[in-house]
Amino acid sequence: MRYFIVTFLFSLLLFGADAKLTIEKNADNRTKIALIDGSQGVSETLSQKFFQILLADLKISGHFLADTTHHKGDFQSNMFPPSIGNKEYVFKYALSQQGGLNLVVSLVNVTSGNSIFQKSYTMTTQDKYPFLAHKAISDMNAALNFPDISWINRYLLFSRYVGSKQSEILLADYTLTYSKVIISGGLNLFPKWADNEQRSFYYTSFSGRVPTLYRLNIYTGAKDMMATSEGMLVCSDINKNGTKALLTMAPNGQPDIYELDVTTKQTRRLTDFGGIDVGGRYVDDDSSIVFVSNRLGYPNIFRQSLFGSGLTQVVHHGRNNNQVDAYGDKIVYASRESSRSFNLYLANLNGSQAYPLTSTGENQFPRFSSNGKVVLFVKQQGSGSAIGYINLETKQSEHFSLGGKKVQSIDW
Amino acid sequence: MKLIFKIVTAMFFIILLAGCSQKAPAMNGADGMGQVSDAPQFGDTVSINENSYGSTGQSGAFGNNRYNSSTDGFQSIYFGFDNYSIGGDMQEYITHNAAKLRSIGNATVRIEGNCDEFGTDEYNYALGLKRAKSVKDSLIAQGIPASRMSLVSFGESSPVCNEPTDECYARNRRVDLRIVR
Repeated sequence: MRYFIVTFLFSLLLFGADAKLTIEKNADNRTKIALIDGSQGVSETLSQKFFQILLADLKISGHFLADTTHHKGDFQSNMFPPSIGNKEYVFKYALSQQGGLNLVVSLVNVTSGNSIFQKSYTMTTQDKYPFLAHKAISDMNAALNFPDISWINRYLLFSRYVGSKQSEILLADYTLTYSKVIISGGLNLFPKWADNEQRSFYYTSFSGRVPTLYRLNIYTGAKDMMATSEGMLVCSDINKNGTKALLTMAPNGQPDIYELDVTTKQTRRLTDFGGIDVGGRYVDDDSSIVFVSNRLGYPNIFRQSLFGSGLTQVVHHGRNNNQVDAYGDKIVYASRESSRSFNLYLANLNGSQAYPLTSTGENQFPRFSSNGKVVLFVKQQGSGSAIGYINLETKQSEHFSLGGKKVQSIDW
Repeated sequence: MKLIFKIVTAMFFIILLAGCSQKAPAMNGADGMGQVSDAPQFGDTVSINENSYGSTGQSGAFGNNRYNSSTDGFQSIYFGFDNYSIGGDMQEYITHNAAKLRSIGNATVRIEGNCDEFGTDEYNYALGLKRAKSVKDSLIAQGIPASRMSLVSFGESSPVCNEPTDECYARNRRVDLRIVR
């Protein structure tokens, strides 16, 4: 009888555990994957950092549930350690340093034993190793026909304050593991990519008598003066082919939105209001703009055609909506809800179906990714900033600290 | 019966442990090892050091308890939160600044708009500019030619204090005046 009781209780234990596992599986359909590090001849520090970046990439993709154990093994070996458990895929990789930094990767289907994706990468500048990890994971993700995550390969471009009237403009990978000061000295603000390929960017320099907009090629250093304006001058957005740019400028001390023809450097005034009009973004296939205006007595989001007609209030929520970004038929905007509370909202282009993306803290500078599926934002942490990401499809979120510095403006 | 229960119990353990075994897959499938990727982000980029811009200058004093971060004998003008209209208590400082401008011949003055840390990038710079424009318009109303004044907004980039207090925030919501040299 006692055997019966013991067996019955053990059966309950097993079935109970199975039921729990089933529920978890249904609730999380992400692909289970383990990483095996076959790197040789690289420091343990680099090995650890590289592994953590791979994990971050897998997490923010929303497509993978990665084993967080740093397994190590022979890249060429067909034997997997039992500790990897029940995974669908194993991602083997090996870093090496011979004439630069090299990476080889292989994705193995554990069930079939087939390697379904293999690739090798190389770069001469080792400090940019995070981009090796991002490229490998985005390629592997594509090989599995999962929704595109190539945004993780893009440069982050941002300005940060380093003192009174002093700032720097930096390039970084999205995790901020790699960062490089591109412009230092003086007050240089509002960096904005000038092309989808991220070869040049616009920024505002305060080194002259009036704010001046420059375009800088990040590979050649070629610098081109685009516009000047008394008071303030900001490049807020570029159109799809990079031939036009939306500026906030104030040639007569009045901040309004203008459109710059990049080739001729001629500007055309789009808004004419005695208060504040800023932050223009192209929408409707570059035929209209959304922008921030205080024409109701407080900052809010408005929309009008490029020819000045059809002005409409977009957002009918909140009393201080002072930033907006747009992608396709969606907008994301920041709303100040108390003195220390800024939250982000996602809505349709006509303002309908607004819902919050954040609920606590100071969350600002919302920017859509290049494919519109992820929102980048800046979260204030004490006197410094952290850069956060929200995957709109998978609801995954992640943030990375900027180490006590405050972001002035950001683009990617 | 006991034997049956023992066998059933042993089978449970066998099934449980079987789940721990790991298949060692063979290395085959598509071969892409010959590929070399050279993404644009892998290339080297420039780094530029721009000329340093200006200095914070020396602080002045107006003979009372108000703060002042203007220079050359001018008095800073302070504003309410998210506001760019000049309050009644600031009118005497506008009058003072107009008199100062008359006393320095044809020198031009730069009117610098500033904000507290609240608000966000572009909007804050526009708010600072509107404050500077309000001061300029007030000085024009007192007879100062517009040609003697230039405007610039420094947004929240030039705070005079960094404490998380209402008094500190109020000190940063200001317009400073300086002679252009």
